[in-house]
Amino acid sequence: MEMITAGLMDALTPASLMFVFVGVAAGVMFGAIPGINGPMAIALFIPITYYLTPLTAIGFLVGLNKGAFFGGAISAVLLRTPGTPEAAATSWDGYALTQQGKGEKALRMALYGSVAGDILATGVLVAIAAPLAAVALFMGPSEIFALITLALTVIAGIGTNSLFRGLVAAGFGLLVGQIGTEPVTALPRLTFDMYQLGGGLSLIPVAIGLLAFSEILIQLERFAKKGAAQHAANVFSSKLEDRLLSIKEFFANTRTLIRGSAIGIFVGAMPGLGAPVASFMSYDQAMKRSKEPESFGKGRLEGIAASESANSAVVASSLIPLFVLGIPGNLAAAMLMGAFMIHGMQPGPLLFKENAQLMYGIYGSLIIASLFLAVIGRFGLRLFCKAVEIPAMVLYPIVIFTCIMGAYLGKSEMFDVGVMLTFGVIGYFMRKFDFSYVAFLIGFILVPEWERALQQVVIISENNPTMFFERPVAMALMVLAIFVIAQTFWKSIQAGQAASRAAARAKK
Amino acid sequence: MSRIQRETVANLLIVGFCGLMWFWAIPTYTPPYPGYGASPALVGNVAVGIMLAMAILSLIRLMLAIYGNNPLPADEAQFPEDTNSAGFTQVGRVNLVHLITFMLPCFLLVFAIEYVAYLIIAFVFLMVMQYLIGNRNWVQMVVIAVAMDALLYVVMRHGFGVPVPGPQII
Repeated sequence: MEMITAGLMDALTPASLMFVFVGVAAGVMFGAIPGINGPMAIALFIPITYYLTPLTAIGFLVGLNKGAFFGGAISAVLLRTPGTPEAAATSWDGYALTQQGKGEKALRMALYGSVAGDILATGVLVAIAAPLAAVALFMGPSEIFALITLALTVIAGIGTNSLFRGLVAAGFGLLVGQIGTEPVTALPRLTFDMYQLGGGLSLIPVAIGLLAFSEILIQLERFAKKGAAQHAANVFSSKLEDRLLSIKEFFANTRTLIRGSAIGIFVGAMPGLGAPVASFMSYDQAMKRSKEPESFGKGRLEGIAASESANSAVVASSLIPLFVLGIPGNLAAAMLMGAFMIHGMQPGPLLFKENAQLMYGIYGSLIIASLFLAVIGRFGLRLFCKAVEIPAMVLYPIVIFTCIMGAYLGKSEMFDVGVMLTFGVIGYFMRKFDFSYVAFLIGFILVPEWERALQQVVIISENNPTMFFERPVAMALMVLAIFVIAQTFWKSIQAGQAASRAAARAKK
Repeated sequence: MSRIQRETVANLLIVGFCGLMWFWAIPTYTPPYPGYGASPALVGNVAVGIMLAMAILSLIRLMLAIYGNNPLPADEAQFPEDTNSAGFTQVGRVNLVHLITFMLPCFLLVFAIEYVAYLIIAFVFLMVMQYLIGNRNWVQMVVIAVAMDALLYVVMRHGFGVPVPGPQII
């Protein structure tokens, strides 16, 4: 109990409150700009957190992520250009409302939906993460190795149409992640005689290059083809009933908000599914259960409530596998995992044992961030709406230069800027050829833990590879990983045969 | 180049990369086995093995598509440009020229900053980038370049106490 009180008091210090506030505000601002999302914002801001205490750093980044999730809805509602993929479902009804002059009402529904989903998911995280972590402590290195293997297999499907390409990317991440000093012999490995690589590649330049810089390169191409940025329609009606969300309207959506949050919590806790899946699933359920499903997509508040509550619930619930097992379920969680590691902590079940006070402090920051989101969103809505209109020719040079200086900031070395630029180009081609940069990044982050578990298994078993088959949980996880790959290959062949039959029928 | 040809080329390149890693990089730049635990090369070999296996499986799948009358399903086969009507994600000559145009100043900055003071080179870089992106409003360009340059200088020097890169003029 003392630990809980001390942790929560840490979260209430002025510095901690200030950084959570700034994080949420910056997150909403970044999320509102089309093309910039939560993980990208985290990548850009991680270098700054080097200079903060672990609690303020994590609180700031969590606030940033929460803010960005709501910010994504702003451009979705105003421009029909979702700032984040998970806000796509929000745009269907949100933009329709904007065209009716009710954009502000739509944004308020999105805000309250986000806050509701976020608060419910944070409650679930607080309630179950620590007890589950206590159970996870019984897992040995074999189970951890098998679990990471399974997670990589499942996560490989994120951000690509093909699991094969996802696994190639994950394998590449594993390969790049082991550059540096080998843990057993303490000798350099795959450093190509470059002393700068002796300590391995830092997460910061790699993440900035892959997430932010490569995205900007793609956006620049888009800008060159499309020309000037879109402008938001006139969203702020003079009629009060078109601007404000009445209590009756809010409570009419209570069921949808609770259902959406529950879907978001479930989906977020499953590694590899992510916020877009939760958002679409929740929207679909809301439509199926509605008495007027045909009105969805034409400006229904329920559609916005369903989408936003689900995608915001994912933010907190995706921290469950991270805190309990040390496995990031999505890209934002992977970036937060990197931030934990930068501050000398390894996410996983031991986190609650070794850093209990800090963990309760983080819980406190998560709750405070939800409240700040409600306040900042409520009073700063009009200001954040302006963010969608920042001209690309002003924004992109600033982001490019921020990427460069952010990469430099970590170790104060221009070598890291070179690494960032190199991974920017790699990320550019990965996006172009549909290789999952998410799988790459998660493989890159997880490889030290994966190798540690493997080394422990080999040493404990005295080089006996059958040890995995002597541990039922480990064996089940490994079999599941093999099943996922085999199933994907089989499905691909079957789908091909179906396409072939369809083509033959069309010829007849 | 058709979709199948491009996938084939991509997978063959991956197979080549894996061969290079397996036969040259990993044996040359990995410490010798210390006599206990797993070999330092094991994870590298496993990673390359995963890449190679997936590339070979993809090639087999492509062969089935070409010779086995088993076409690639739409969602499996499509490169992003096929689903993107705006064509933003194509990799053609124009795209590569565009990429080089933006990357060149960035890489030049990395080398030039060692010899030219940060405040000067950052200003020049920001002006060049704005020009390349299409801004022709010189007043706006100068204001943004000076403001960004100064802001980051102050934040780094006085906020974080980090020395800016390159020779110091202030």
